[in-house]
Amino acid sequence: MRRTRSRPGLIPRITALTVPVCVALASCGAPQQAIEIPFSVQFGAEPISCSMAAADLRLSDMRLFVYDFHLTSASGEEVALTLDDRPPWQGGQVALLDFEDGTGTCRNGSAATNAGVQARVAAGNYTGLRFRIGVPEVLNHADPLQALAPLNHTAMHWHWLTGYKFLRAGIARAGIDNESATFWLHLGSTRCSGSASDPGGCRHSNRPEISLPEFVPEETVVVIDLAPLAAVTGLHDGISADCSSGPTEASCERPFAIFGLDFASGDAIGTPDLIRVTKLE
Amino acid sequence: MSVSKTRVAVAALILLVVLLIVLSTYERPFRWSLPDGLPLPVVPADNPMSVVKVDLGRRLFHDGRLSINGATSCASCHRQELAFTDGLARSAGATGELHPRGSMSLVNVAYASRLTWANHLLDRLETQALTPMFGEDPVEMGMSGRESTITALLRSDPDYRVAFPRAFPGDEDPYSILNTVRAISAFVRTIVSFDSAYDRYLRGDTVALTVGQVAGMQLFFSERLECFHCHGGLNFTDSSTHANAAVESVGFHNTGLYNIDGAGGYPAGNAGLRELTGDRWDTGRFRAPTLRNIAITAPYMHDGSIEDLPSVIDHYARGGRNIAEGPYAGDGARNPYKSEFLRGFALSKEERSNLLAFLESLTDRSVLRNEALSDPGSGTAIARSDREHPLFAVK
Repeated sequence: MRRTRSRPGLIPRITALTVPVCVALASCGAPQQAIEIPFSVQFGAEPISCSMAAADLRLSDMRLFVYDFHLTSASGEEVALTLDDRPPWQGGQVALLDFEDGTGTCRNGSAATNAGVQARVAAGNYTGLRFRIGVPEVLNHADPLQALAPLNHTAMHWHWLTGYKFLRAGIARAGIDNESATFWLHLGSTRCSGSASDPGGCRHSNRPEISLPEFVPEETVVVIDLAPLAAVTGLHDGISADCSSGPTEASCERPFAIFGLDFASGDAIGTPDLIRVTKLE
Repeated sequence: MSVSKTRVAVAALILLVVLLIVLSTYERPFRWSLPDGLPLPVVPADNPMSVVKVDLGRRLFHDGRLSINGATSCASCHRQELAFTDGLARSAGATGELHPRGSMSLVNVAYASRLTWANHLLDRLETQALTPMFGEDPVEMGMSGRESTITALLRSDPDYRVAFPRAFPGDEDPYSILNTVRAISAFVRTIVSFDSAYDRYLRGDTVALTVGQVAGMQLFFSERLECFHCHGGLNFTDSSTHANAAVESVGFHNTGLYNIDGAGGYPAGNAGLRELTGDRWDTGRFRAPTLRNIAITAPYMHDGSIEDLPSVIDHYARGGRNIAEGPYAGDGARNPYKSEFLRGFALSKEERSNLLAFLESLTDRSVLRNEALSDPGSGTAIARSDREHPLFAVK
């Protein structure tokens, strides 16, 4: 894989940011450092995008909310990251990753993309990353029209479920221009109780939890590898069945497993097969 | 003219100008005008009613530019002359995609405790309005991710440029999706109907109903037929509420329309509340729609699978529908998740026609013709709000 985006001067930038960040934070006891967590979407080892095919497949969408970031310190302690306020992509400790650019098979998207999370953490040496895909429960059922970025994109609202789509992925068979050749996955909490005015929580949280012990800041990138997901969609046989996270949708069982989710309970039971780290080139 | 006379004239002129300015900014307060004894509907505290907001909502409700094809408005599937339904078994969205379900009547929707056919979560019109506008499965108006197209229209349309700041005074940026759904919701809450022959009969007009209709009414409200358990109350649905309600009533019922596998199965993708809750006991459970104007809202049931009212009565008389062949074959009367009120009943020919006549007495022609609910048309100065509306009775 060849990365098109070079990353010059990242380490000097961290040093330069450490001082002003601490000055800005009144409660800043320990010195802080800036951290960037880069993400990329691949198909196996190949790049894949809305206009670039891998194994006959292209993206037709790939947007997801991520939150609850932790790094593991040298002493083995988990340290929470504070996400920067960076509209339109980050705010309220939630980030939106957006890999669709509105070209090719991505018909309902927009040109803007976002492939990284920017945060601060107490200065130190870290390895290992943990985070979740989703929107924290406390924000998931608030009025989306009054929400701040990044929770204000209507494409990510799930109005009739009074929550958000945590992730919307689409994989299209290249060269075939009809809906049946596209697999759609909309991930979000289900089996919710209460109502829009008085939310009562959801029995199926459906928030994948990702643990990447091999993650090393500045050296690795988090890869979302669509190959394992595409393998369970039957796309190549033309029998793709979409999954909208419905508790009765049998077509969700295998995609959920790929995301490390138990379809029967909505619990995260392992790190998703499709997320790993690779060396930053 | 002496100096003092000039001063008086100038002072009078200034007073007149001030008076004119004050008058021009005066907004007539919104007043519900309902028949005596009827409770007010619930209005969310964050979206109070106002005459200018309702007028703006009326325009937005009929504006096809709020959709991806520039032509599909709320009114496309909620036509006034059909009691705000569309007369189709299943509605079609802006891209032609068929909805699995039919358009529900908006009459008295301000009194609905839950909205749409089978969703226990949707209890606010302001939330519900987002699904037709931005929903993707199925596509209705098709505006997901295109909110900037809508706000650009609101900012550029000369009528909206006047109406949004007036409807949402003090709002820094009134041209928002939030205010759009608030205005539409305020308008939809004014689609109120309490002037059917049945209502007039209740108000003491003893000849408003025929003898047959009165007999039909007695059948409707009898334990023998059980209709009223689900279709009771002021809006003929048990999913009703109002401003004075002690408890909010919410009901979803399996009416034995299907029993595909002999184990209670409903057609895939249209299994009712179960799709949200995942609970098998919610299979085939749908919200009882209002029966107001029911005679003009055919076809019936969530999927429009019953063509006319006599067939609906036959369905309930049998205690469920038997489908003899095809992919949906099965006897709905034996659906294990069926409501306990679907016991079936036998009607004489006369009783059946009396019951039908009663259902026809629930039609309120005024709501089908009320000009204040109609398409204001292009070029109408909506902010003027000088039309008569039965609900805007000025003191």
